[in-house]
This record gives sequence, C-alpha cells and structure tokens, in this order.
Amino acid sequence: MDSLDLTIRIAGENGEGVLTVGDVLAEALARSGLYIYTFKNLPAEIKGGASMTQVRVQDTPVRSPGDALDILMVWNQENYDIHVGEVKPSGVVIFDPDECKPDENLEVLQIAVPLQDITKTIIKTMKSKNVLAFGVLTACLGIPCESAEQMVAESRWGRRKEFLESNINALKQAYIYVAENDIDLGLRVKATREVGDSQLIMTGNEALCMGALAAGCRYYAGYPITPASDVMETLAKAMPKVGGVLMQTEDEIAAITAVIGASFTGAKVMTATAGPGLSLMVEALGLATMEEIPIVVVDVQRGGPSTGMPTKTEQSDLNLAIYGAHGEAPRIVIAATNTEDCFYTAVKAFNLAEKYQTPVILLSDQHLSQRAQVMARPDLKQIEIVDRKYPDSNDVTAAQQFNRYEMTEDHISPMPVPGRHRQHYVATGLEHDEHAHIDYSPEAHIRMTEKRSLKIESAVNEPGFVQRYGAEDAQLGLIGWGSSEGPILEALDRTRAKGYKVAALIFKMIYPLPEKEARNFIDTIPMVSVVELNASGQFANYLRGRLSASLEQFNIITGLPFKAGDIEDYIEGVLQYG
Amino acid sequence: MAEVRAAKKNNTEITEQDEKIVKRSLKDYRSEVKPTWCPGCGDFGVLSALQRSLAERNLNPKDVVIVSGIGCSGRLPEFVNAYGLHVVHGRALPAAQGVKAANPELTVIAVGGDGDGFAIGGGHVPHAVRRNQDITYIVMDNQVYGLTKGQPSPSTPSGMEALQRSISMPKMAPYEGVLEGQLNFLAMVLVYGCSFVARTFSSQASDMARLIGEGLDHNGFSFIHAMSPCPTFYNTYDPWKESFVPLPDGWDISDRIKAIDLAMEEVTDGVFHSGLFFQDQYRTYTEKLQDVYDKAYGNEQATIDMLMNQYS
Repeated sequence: MDSLDLTIRIAGENGEGVLTVGDVLAEALARSGLYIYTFKNLPAEIKGGASMTQVRVQDTPVRSPGDALDILMVWNQENYDIHVGEVKPSGVVIFDPDECKPDENLEVLQIAVPLQDITKTIIKTMKSKNVLAFGVLTACLGIPCESAEQMVAESRWGRRKEFLESNINALKQAYIYVAENDIDLGLRVKATREVGDSQLIMTGNEALCMGALAAGCRYYAGYPITPASDVMETLAKAMPKVGGVLMQTEDEIAAITAVIGASFTGAKVMTATAGPGLSLMVEALGLATMEEIPIVVVDVQRGGPSTGMPTKTEQSDLNLAIYGAHGEAPRIVIAATNTEDCFYTAVKAFNLAEKYQTPVILLSDQHLSQRAQVMARPDLKQIEIVDRKYPDSNDVTAAQQFNRYEMTEDHISPMPVPGRHRQHYVATGLEHDEHAHIDYSPEAHIRMTEKRSLKIESAVNEPGFVQRYGAEDAQLGLIGWGSSEGPILEALDRTRAKGYKVAALIFKMIYPLPEKEARNFIDTIPMVSVVELNASGQFANYLRGRLSASLEQFNIITGLPFKAGDIEDYIEGVLQYG
Repeated sequence: MAEVRAAKKNNTEITEQDEKIVKRSLKDYRSEVKPTWCPGCGDFGVLSALQRSLAERNLNPKDVVIVSGIGCSGRLPEFVNAYGLHVVHGRALPAAQGVKAANPELTVIAVGGDGDGFAIGGGHVPHAVRRNQDITYIVMDNQVYGLTKGQPSPSTPSGMEALQRSISMPKMAPYEGVLEGQLNFLAMVLVYGCSFVARTFSSQASDMARLIGEGLDHNGFSFIHAMSPCPTFYNTYDPWKESFVPLPDGWDISDRIKAIDLAMEEVTDGVFHSGLFFQDQYRTYTEKLQDVYDKAYGNEQATIDMLMNQYS
C-alpha cells in the first residue's frame, strides 16, 4: 500500500476564515492519528489580500510543507489565479463557480462547489461557510460524515454549544452536496494509530513557550511584533498559572533591560522578538554579556531589512545574532529545527544561559513559529534543568571580600543575587575587575574580555547541537541550520532513492561554532554547499571566515520556506551537471 | 516605625551576622568606592540623603537594589553599600521594573540624571508610572549633560539664559542659545498619573533625606525630583538657593490638578517649590498580580503537564 502523502491548500480573502479551516482540518487529522504539517502564507494586513493555509498529511512524521498540491480549494478568482499553477497533474481544484471562472485549458480535475451560494441559500449563516468548506474537504478525503461531525464537535466550532447545531448542519450540507454531485476522489483517509494524549499538536511558538516554562522561565517581558507576538500571548495565559510574571513593555529596549533586571535577582527570564526588535536590543545584549547575566532572547526571523516582510519567512538575522554588538560581545546563538525541537531547544537555551551566565539567542523563523506539527508529549521527568552557579548559601564572606567575577578554571563565577546572598555587588556595563569595581586598566580589560569569551567556547561540547545525516561516502554535502533541516533531510531521502550519495550536516548551534564537525564534514566530501533562506549566504560566509573553506551555496529569498523539491532539484542539478 | 518597616521589607532571611547589627548607620551604606564626582557636585548631597534614609529604615543591604543608567549620577550605585545594577543609557527604569517584578520583596531604587531619564529614557517614564510598582525613582536634575562635558539637556532653560552661566554650553548653542523648550518633569509625571511626586534640593540635606525616605515608604511608584547642581558645567547654586521656596501653607497633597498648576506656574514665576507635591495610594502592580494569580490558578499552581494538555 502506498503511504499517505497529501498536500491540501485552502486559499481565499484574508480575514474570511480560510486559516481556521486549515487549522481545524490539521488538528482533526492529527487527533485521528495522522501526522500533519501546516503552512500559512498571509499578508501583513488584518483584512484583505490573498491568504492561504496548507496542510500536508502523512502517516509518518512530516518534515516539510509539501511541494505540488493534491487538493486546492479556492474561494475567489484572485486566489484561483495565484495558486492554480501549483496543482499536481493528478491533483484537484475545488472552486466556487460564483466567484471564479476556471481556466478551461487546465489539465487537472476541477470541481465546482458553490460555497457562497450554499451558505447563503441553504445554511443561511455566513459564519458557517468555513464549516461547509471543511466538510467538502473531509468528504473529498473520504472521511465518513459521522467522523467529521465528531471532528467539528471537538474543534473550536464545537466549543460554543449554541452554534454547534448550525455548524453540524453546515457540515451535513457539504456531505449532501458531495453525494448528490457524485464527487469522489477515490481517497479514503483514515487513522492508522491510537494517539490519545501521548502526542501534542503545537505550533513552533507554542512548543517554545512550553519548553521555556518547563525550563523554569518565570519572567517574560516583550513587545508585540509579528511573528513573535504569539509567544507573548501564549505566555500571557500560561505564565500566571505557574506563578510567573509576564510584562508587555513599551518597546523592545525596555523588554530586554527588564529581563536583565529580573535575571539579576535570580529569575529565569526570556524575551521574544523579530528582526526589528532584535536590532533595538543589540546594545543591551552587550550589557548582559558584560555583566554576565543569563537571559534568553528568541528571534523569530521574518523577511527583512527594515519592516521588510513581517509575515514571511527568512533566515536572515544570522549576522545580527552573531555579530550584532559594539565591542567584543560574544553570546551563544542556537537555532531550532522543527516544532518538537522548539520545545527542547528552548529548554537548552535556558540551561546554556544559566550555566554560562550569558545571553543566549534562540533563532526561530516565521514558518517554524507558526506552523503546526505533531510531537510526542515530552516526558518532563527526563528533562535536565540547569541552574546558575550561586555562592554557597553558607558562605559568610562579606560583600567587600567577595569576587563576583572570580577567575575560575571554567571562567564561570558564582553569582550572588539580591534578597538571597549577602555578597552584594554592583553589576556594571563598564569594564570592571573581579570585584566588579570599575577598572579600565589594560590588564583588567584583557582578563575580562578573555573570561567572557572563553567561558562560552566550551559550549561547543554540549551534546545534540550538530548532527550528520546521509551517505558516508557522499558526493555532495549539504550544510543547513535551524529550520531548513526538514526539507534538507526529505530531499536527502528522495535523492538517495534515485541513487545519489548525499550527506547533510545540520547545525543547531551557530555560536560558538562546532568547528571540528564542520571541518570534518567539509574536508571529507568533494563538494559542500550551504543551504539557507537568505540572499548573501550568511552562514556560508561565517563558515568561510572561520574555516577558510571553499563552499558552494544555495539560497532562496522568496519569503517562503524551502520545499523538499527545491533542494531535491538543486542536488540533482549539481550532481548531474556539476 | 522605621524598624517595623525594615522588618517587613526584610522578611526574606536574616542571617546570624545580620542580626548582630542592631541598628545600621549612614556609614554602613557607604561602599569602599570613593565617589568620582567633581568637588561641589550636588550628587554628593543626594547620595548622603539616600544613605541616611536607608539607615533610618535599617534596610539590609542585601535586600536593596539601586538601578541606574548612564551619566554622572548613574555612578551612584557604586558608592552605596548595597546591590547595584548599572545598565545602559536611559534604561534604569525598565531594569528596575524587572528587578521588582521578579522579587517584590526587594527595596528597589532607580537613580539617574535629567538626560538619562527624560531624553534617551523619556519614553520609559510614563510606563513605569502606569505600572505603579513600588519603586523610588530619584532624578538628579542639573539641567546639563555633565559626563559628556556640558551639552544642554531636556531641562536646560530655553534661549540664551543658560548660556551665560555655562562655559560649555556655548559650544553647542553658539548663536541663539537652546532652541528647544524646557521640559517640566514634575508636571509631566503628574499628568502621567504618578502616585507620589516630590521635589527637593541637594543643598537642603535633611529635607531631601526626609522626602526620599517618604518615597521609600510610599507603596507605589514614587518620583523624587532632586535638583542637584553641576558646579563644573552649569553652576546654578546661587540662583537655586534664591528660587527654592517651600510649598504654600496648608498644601493639599491629594489635589493633582493643583499640583500640576503649581508645577506649570513655577516656570513663569521662576521658583522651585520644595516638598511633597502629590501623594495618593493606588493599587500596585504587585497587588494586581495577586488578583491575576487568584484567577489563573487559585490555590495550587499548574504543572507544565497540565499546561500542555490543551495541545493534545
């Protein structure tokens, strides 16, 4: 039996409800035991403009958004015109005949379903149009009406009982229409496993929030910015439930200095932002480095520069994350690869910040942050939580004799915190000595610059931040970081099936750079290319600078995530034509 | 009264050695770092007034955090025997708010100058006021940028007036003096809705210590406008000695509108009133958070597993 792999796209006017259809469909399929991966592409405006949501469903974990479409449902002409070219030859277009005029030369199956008309004349509540659309899709997928009814009842449409009846009616009308018009795509999508509550369906941002809370984050300050706002919104609800504090500040500068203040008292802290906000935080990032205060800064990257493309995805804040500083201000930079990894990488971000007493930038991106995926429920008992090095609570050393920035073997010094430790000190952004006293002498600056930089160098030895995949004797090696992992690995599998020998090296730690692994990969593979969603090849240039290596690069700047097919084509192109 | 408050503020943990110190004096709040200010700087007066008010309340240095930004006055935490957090220019208030939010038991004092507080950091003041956390904010106003050697600040008088008293300011405003108007900090924070607004002068030491102390005792955000001359770049000692007057007899500290009026009239009258302009008791951020917790979890906090249930 062929394995299930369907890519379904719903497109309409932004604000009309297409996104909800996609969300409910994805959740319903995931709850029934299938694996899903969503992808939304919308304008930055609240109402108006073309907007689409896509659900890829498989019976094994999904790694990328899907290439060509199996099912496209469009609600109007504009969206028909935009998306119809992406339908597979074997695919189907479902369109509203009152809203669009189909292209008669198109050689794919096109099915007219008058969504607007049925809603207006039969259902008579315009709000139920999205339930109708959902029903048409589940009917086309071969899901029995009773199962779909249950899906609706368990979804957000079933939450308010007074609307449930009309929503179920809308769903039934879809099944009636599909039956009366003999629409049958031959699909019989059904569950393959029992999931219960052993799995979670989360977006990257939601998983990241849960990871942060699991790691002990109890103070968050942030400023609204797409696509990071839902980190703040998720925590606004969750943080008080665990006794933490969430503060919406007046800007990103206030956000980062407030988290520095909170961490100064020993709290585990986080702020999340996107490129424009990270730009504003740069000065205070240096402060956290200088004062050796642990903070976690999440950057959900979007298309830049300037306001750029707030709702589109890109991996183009890498330079800012690594180098954005005046003076020598090293910090740890890590990147998450998928939704599940957002959870675990968030935990690691806190552990690294606490252990190394340094800012940690966690890079996500719009696509990773807002897509939903299925993940196994984390076993919290298995998660290691690291706390910072504090003075011994029995230590009676007077403040005057205590060295906050004591030189130690691992360059990490015990950090007293107010209220708890009597060894009070003044943390300052000015250069200082071991005792935290201001000191501009060459000796102090040399010692302290080395301390701040050397202490985080050993973070490269932390496990799980770089992983090699694919052929041992590869002809071509691909290097990726963060969220391009999924499509790279899928492309690896597809090209292996075609006989190509390709390997991949995926970095989750960017700074400090796991140099040994990078060098070994580059030195043993004839040709290595860095695959990333930016124009200049920011990671490629970083690697070239650090390793003096000769590297190819493959970049896309469409504002859209990589498709596995993009990378598959690249691999084939390189290996066939050189 | 002071002891009661001190005990309340210190209800974290009191070590054996702490208890041995029955009563702290001003010198217990002096750090081993000698102030780096110019001789005659008004900030000396503010420093000792602050140390005095800390001593009067017998606060344990381990429970006190003084937060500052950049500028001459931003160095103050270095000179106090307590925790200090010296951050970037203009951001003392957000940092102080983070400190207080993460540990409401601490006594949190933010300090800084007129430039730090109302130029680069001016956007933070209304929001610190809105949150009404129990933080005391002391603005040492010398109407000049001292640390960068004498440029005009947001509180420098407009026009040619200031130039005659400054050797440095003509460098920045050689033709027509300061073109920008002068900000009225007191009126601003009153309009923002601040729950405690006072003005004091560094040369009136006991008055200043008393007002700072009242600010520390006030449960909410307290704003202390501490006029503190810069003898090096903008010496206002002589005129300020003349223009400082007490608040009118029978001043009603509960009338915000009158306080705003008075603060506005000062500019035309050429005077500074010294004393507590306004005080009222509003619910603090910490108190409101308690309500949030009551609603969010009631008696027992959620576990992370419980939080994750909504995603299954």
